[in-house]
Amino acid sequence: MSVATTGARTLTPALAGVLVAVAALAMGAFGSAHLLGQVAFVATYAIAGLGVILIVGQCGQISLGQGGLLAIGAYVQTVLCLRGWPPLAALPLALAAGAAGGWLASLPARRLGGLYFGMSTLAFALIIEEVLVRWETVTRGSAGLTVPTFGVGEWSATSAGGQALVSVIALAAALWCCWRLRKSRVGRAWQAVRDDEWAASACGIEVMTAKTQVFVVGGALSGLAGALYAHWIGFVSPEQFGLQLSFELLILAFMGGVYALSGAIWGAIVIVAVPQLISLIRDHLPAGVANAAGFDAMALGVVIVVVILFRPEGIAGRRR
Amino acid sequence: MAFIQVLISGIAVGCIYGLVALSFVLIYKATETISFMQGELLMLGAFTALALNAGAGWPIGWAALAAVALMTLLGATLERGVLRRAIGQPHLTALLLTFGLGMILRGAVTAVPAASQTLHRLPLPFSEQPLVLGALVIATEHVAVIVATLLLAGLLTLFFQYTRTGLALRACSEDARIAALMGISVPAMHTLAWALGAGLAACAGLLLAPVTFVQVNMGLIALKAFPAAVLGGMTSLPGALLAGVFLGVAEAVAGLVLPEGVKDVVPYLLLMVALLLFPGGLASGLRRLRS
Repeated sequence: MSVATTGARTLTPALAGVLVAVAALAMGAFGSAHLLGQVAFVATYAIAGLGVILIVGQCGQISLGQGGLLAIGAYVQTVLCLRGWPPLAALPLALAAGAAGGWLASLPARRLGGLYFGMSTLAFALIIEEVLVRWETVTRGSAGLTVPTFGVGEWSATSAGGQALVSVIALAAALWCCWRLRKSRVGRAWQAVRDDEWAASACGIEVMTAKTQVFVVGGALSGLAGALYAHWIGFVSPEQFGLQLSFELLILAFMGGVYALSGAIWGAIVIVAVPQLISLIRDHLPAGVANAAGFDAMALGVVIVVVILFRPEGIAGRRR
Repeated sequence: MAFIQVLISGIAVGCIYGLVALSFVLIYKATETISFMQGELLMLGAFTALALNAGAGWPIGWAALAAVALMTLLGATLERGVLRRAIGQPHLTALLLTFGLGMILRGAVTAVPAASQTLHRLPLPFSEQPLVLGALVIATEHVAVIVATLLLAGLLTLFFQYTRTGLALRACSEDARIAALMGISVPAMHTLAWALGAGLAACAGLLLAPVTFVQVNMGLIALKAFPAAVLGGMTSLPGALLAGVFLGVAEAVAGLVLPEGVKDVVPYLLLMVALLLFPGGLASGLRRLRS
């Protein structure tokens, strides 16, 4: 497959996705704040999903610990903002911390690759969660921290519209960077490693470096998403970023489609919408049939299994 | 004396880690799938025994046996019905499928109000009097866990060494294509591996029941099985069991000498260090150091 044509083919749906988000934004400006709030979350999840798509879809590796990387971004952002940093100045540091986390999480498995990355990132995320619980002087442990609102200079993103605008801009920037990266030497190296490691190394690609790079970039995207997520939720605590979030992001990428960047947007829409649909259905069930939390988990599990069985390539489409 | 007591409780907990890791490696070797539902199978096994005992009034021994048998059946059914379809897909597909199935199982148990709202105790016949050896006081359930693990390991060894089916399963883990050429039904072996894996997880659940309580979150212990499997080298059954015991002891000792909270991350730190220094597992690492 030629790189140029796949690039063009996948950019079109990616752009369409951004346009849909912008359209929703415009529509929501006259409509409910609820919709705009959802747009902010979809865009933030999509940024985190992009990180997974790069690691899983572009480079063929596995990460089971994206939640931990989001936690790093969220906590760095929160702690810096609480110390009086302007949010926009803290954002690059959150990004860098996420990238450093991605590097550290992938370090032990970089020679082995594949499933071993899954193991090392999983262990890393569990360690991060425990550190956040125990390092009470900075993180206040399980009690959590309240996050200041995001703002630039005089303006602050208190309304849902402002939050949606910031998220969509960040998503567009992230998509553009990923799209450029994908077409660059680095991105082509990732795809070569994904398709055939031996052939890639025979062509002079440093396989280990390529794998490390993808985890660093994926970590940076997670850091950014984590920082924004912290601002929109307004509160961070360690259990928000547990194993559940890591798997939600993987499922997001899988539902959207890991081989196209636009998959992140479709997947984010699904992962934000599905729990709400499930709770809508639950509200119409007769009371006392099932315990609410259990029903939600069960229904989400069924959706995951059905989607993976019947559409393993995701919404955004096939690899070739 | 206190140290020896901590050591024994560490070994007992480690045995449970080891059993879960064993079930996990068994499935991984035969089907190349990382199962993220071993914890849920463990929890469901304990709840099934509880339901049969407390709900249906069966004697505890029969309830436990029936629970293990039912879980074995469930493992086989899930393989036939769902997981088989993921063969030939990337690793992650099967992994996410097991996670989804685990969510369904956990959700199903949580949805039952009687199961999720209280802690339950499984009335196993050994939890009254601690064992006293001189100055040493050992909890009976710890001894029971260690003895039961040894027994299960012995049974598994007999199965793998002396039965045709065991040999076939080993051949299938070694090289599925060549095993197929030798006339072994590889799909049947996949079903068997999942059935055994689920049965082992249920055994671990029954053994864990007296140590913790029977509750929805008891499956979280399965997360410790991943470090154990990696330390054991991912593909070695005795390695997984030994690494589980090693982790249990390491955790117990860390709880004794290191500040609070460090204990819980010790297995994961060990996992990362092991991947960094001994990527082939502890056994091969030791071999390499010696040569």
